[in-house]
Amino acid sequence: MPDERLFDETTRRKLEQLMLVATRVRAGAMKGERRSVKRGTSIEFADYRNYARGDDLRRLDWNIYGRLDRPFIKLLEDEEDLAVHLILDASASMDWPPDADHNQRKFWYARRLFAGLAAISLASSDRLAMLATSLDGAQPFGPARGRGHSLGMLRYVGGLAAGGATDLNAALKRYALRGGRPGLCFVISDLFTPGGFRDGVNALLSRGYEVAIIQVLSPDEVDPPLGGDLRLVDVETGQAQEVTIDGGLRELYLKRLAAWRDDIRADCLRRGIHFVSVTTDAPWEQVILFHLRRLGAVK
Amino acid sequence: MAFLTPLAALGLALAVPIVLLYMLRLRRREVTVSSLTLWQQVVQDSEANTPWQRLRRNLLLLLQLLVLALLVLALMRPFVIVPAVSAGRIELLLDASASMNAADMPGGETRFDEAKRQALSMVDTLGQGDAMTVILVTDVPEVIVPATSDRAALRAAIAAAQPSAAAADWVAALTLAAADAQNAAQASFVIVSDGGLGAAEGLPGIPGEVRYLPVGRAGDNLAISALAARALPGGNSQLFAQVTNYGTRAAEVIFDLRVDGRLFSAQRYTVPAGESLPLVSAALPDGFETLQAGLTRPADAQVPDYLALDDAAWAVAPRAGARRVLLLTAGNRFLEQILRTLPGIQAFRGDINRPLPAEPYDLYILDGWLPPTGLPAGDLFIINPPASTPLFTLGPDSAAAANILTRRDDPRLAFVDFADVNILKFKTLTGADWADALITADGGPLLLAGETGGRQAAVLTFALQESDLPLQITWPVLMANLMEWFAPAASVSAPDGLRVGETLAIRPPPSATTVRVTLPDGTARSLPIDRETLAFAETGAPGLYRVDILEGETVIETAPVAVNLFAPEESAIAPRPAVTLGGQAVAPAERDAVGQRELWPWAALAALVVLLIEWYVYQRRMQARTVFRPALRRQGAR
Repeated sequence: MPDERLFDETTRRKLEQLMLVATRVRAGAMKGERRSVKRGTSIEFADYRNYARGDDLRRLDWNIYGRLDRPFIKLLEDEEDLAVHLILDASASMDWPPDADHNQRKFWYARRLFAGLAAISLASSDRLAMLATSLDGAQPFGPARGRGHSLGMLRYVGGLAAGGATDLNAALKRYALRGGRPGLCFVISDLFTPGGFRDGVNALLSRGYEVAIIQVLSPDEVDPPLGGDLRLVDVETGQAQEVTIDGGLRELYLKRLAAWRDDIRADCLRRGIHFVSVTTDAPWEQVILFHLRRLGAVK
Repeated sequence: MAFLTPLAALGLALAVPIVLLYMLRLRRREVTVSSLTLWQQVVQDSEANTPWQRLRRNLLLLLQLLVLALLVLALMRPFVIVPAVSAGRIELLLDASASMNAADMPGGETRFDEAKRQALSMVDTLGQGDAMTVILVTDVPEVIVPATSDRAALRAAIAAAQPSAAAADWVAALTLAAADAQNAAQASFVIVSDGGLGAAEGLPGIPGEVRYLPVGRAGDNLAISALAARALPGGNSQLFAQVTNYGTRAAEVIFDLRVDGRLFSAQRYTVPAGESLPLVSAALPDGFETLQAGLTRPADAQVPDYLALDDAAWAVAPRAGARRVLLLTAGNRFLEQILRTLPGIQAFRGDINRPLPAEPYDLYILDGWLPPTGLPAGDLFIINPPASTPLFTLGPDSAAAANILTRRDDPRLAFVDFADVNILKFKTLTGADWADALITADGGPLLLAGETGGRQAAVLTFALQESDLPLQITWPVLMANLMEWFAPAASVSAPDGLRVGETLAIRPPPSATTVRVTLPDGTARSLPIDRETLAFAETGAPGLYRVDILEGETVIETAPVAVNLFAPEESAIAPRPAVTLGGQAVAPAERDAVGQRELWPWAALAALVVLLIEWYVYQRRMQARTVFRPALRRQGAR
């Protein structure tokens, strides 16, 4: 890792005991570590059926054949993998607050979540695909499977940098069109995107993805320490807005922010999207160990 | 409304730099935020909600311009025309006499408080170019503010003025005021008083307009108008006191008497309106030193007593061995006159046709006559002795004294000059070895003095009627010297006490080193002995003063001195509707002159208030940065 460890050994072990759960996606293509509703090729016995022509003779139960003189095919539990997609918003607004240490910033927090979720999915031999997206360009990782990719994954996450603006809609749409097998898709972002994110999420949903959104905000966005006559400049777009912040306007901002978050939460609930909104002053493990668990995205 | 300094309006030009500064300042601080999305919505919301938003943004500028406008207004000194008592050059005579202590104003305030208020209101209406001199009229009138138009100085001096306990000297005060106003083109004299100018009413008019602002409402007052103790021949002391009711209703009063601080008697009297009640008591105890009399209103009294200053009086016991002089003569106007005028002497005239009185006298003056029963015991001053006595032998008369010589080094002859004295004839004396011949002429001594047989004796060998000595200026000097020699005056002599404000003369003996005067309030003053007679003038409060004469650390003489108000013109507190001056009555003044009431303090006050509002608004905006900080901690994952 380039600078600091994203997380320590204890946390890593804790994470590896977890498993990402997709309740709707059942499209395993490869053997994985999760039981599938389909019969498959694992060692777990499931049932017998009559041999039909063309069946693989290797799966004939020769002991039964010897005893009963009738060919039966042994059906085994199939174990399948899950396609896990992690999408990280790497726009400039994520590298916030600018005057804080890098490990206090949203992007550091988001990367920890990014890597944590990736570690879980690698540990459970899921098919992991990662993408950090900003206008500067998409930085993909994977697909990868198995713990063997942990180091590469951590190196990838550690090397990510935030900058530029993001059109989250466009990025998600592009990903839905291109990204192979649908699966569980985590989107980590502050959702401060000029065009919104709903169209992108819709594209993912329509392709059969199960979507979880983790909104990461910093405390100074929730309760901005601003006052007086100011000219606010958007770090991504460079747009400016003159504003005189006094007590009344602050109240208005706080109300507006709460309404916005509630709006997103309600919309996600309606469409079966997992939604978690966190601020960076809450421990990041809690997001995985508590919030995502509660939502059933992690087991 | 008009302005005294309209040019100050140029200060409004300062608005230009303020606006410029504001425009510079309003290049808003640039702050980068992670996203404008929410802010833009918020701004839209707020502008939709409050149409005043634009105005609010410039609220600070508006407030600052308002502060400037108010300050400039204050500097322009706006004023309104108000009726005033007087204008131009004003000589304000503020009565601070004892009667101004009367607490007959509403709320128990004294007349002096009211007078000060009136004076201050005159200061308030002082116009541009008006000047005022404030004279505090007490026993020693004092200019507390010389002519000035500085209202702050006038206000401070008037507010600090205190009433005295003495009678006012209006003659001096008016003279002072007239002298002060001499150079002014047109001066007006404003008298703030409860009336009664005393001797000043007979003064010729003063140059200028006189205005009178009366204070005081009621005249109910009871006073101890006299208190004295006299030693009766024979030893016992007699008290004489007088309680006067200056009011218009008969009043009940309790008169209490304390002897040396202990309550001696207390009795209730009814004093008829406008009358005095003499109280005489012969039963004072022996050997007392001080008397204190007080008046108390009985609890059920109907008539108030507004002036407290004259409800107490003090007296000192007559000194034992006062100089009682018995003059025995067939008739000598010169002697009688001089004895009446010499201070510190109680002179009695004896009848030479009757035996000598039994009670002893300190000094016997035998003028051309000798008692047939022999010389009395006591000091003797024998003038023109008709016969020989055990003290001397009389010789023949000597005519026309010539070559008169005086012993210049003798204190008994200090300032005595016999050069121009003509003496028709004198008696020659012999056998008076005990005496010094103080004045001699060819033929024998003219004046002998000395001590013999435990007494002092002096002999003048010629008849006063047969010389022109009594017509000379040296005659009272000689008599005073002789009396001083016979019985030196006490260091402190004020047998009748002093009036408030009078000067106490102290003549310490030569051996004294310090004189200490203890005031009624207990504080002590040390007077250095730098001359023969010391003057102590700090007698502004009635009460008992004690004079201690010290030799080193030892008190060699101590004497109490009573200081009393005893001023009928002060105790008669009934306010006068008018005063008389220069033979003309001066009625209470109307506010008919034109004064200016300045309004700048209000403008300045308003500027201060607006400044505070501006500060508050600014702080509110700035606080938005920090005040909500703790809220962050509570925000968690949602």
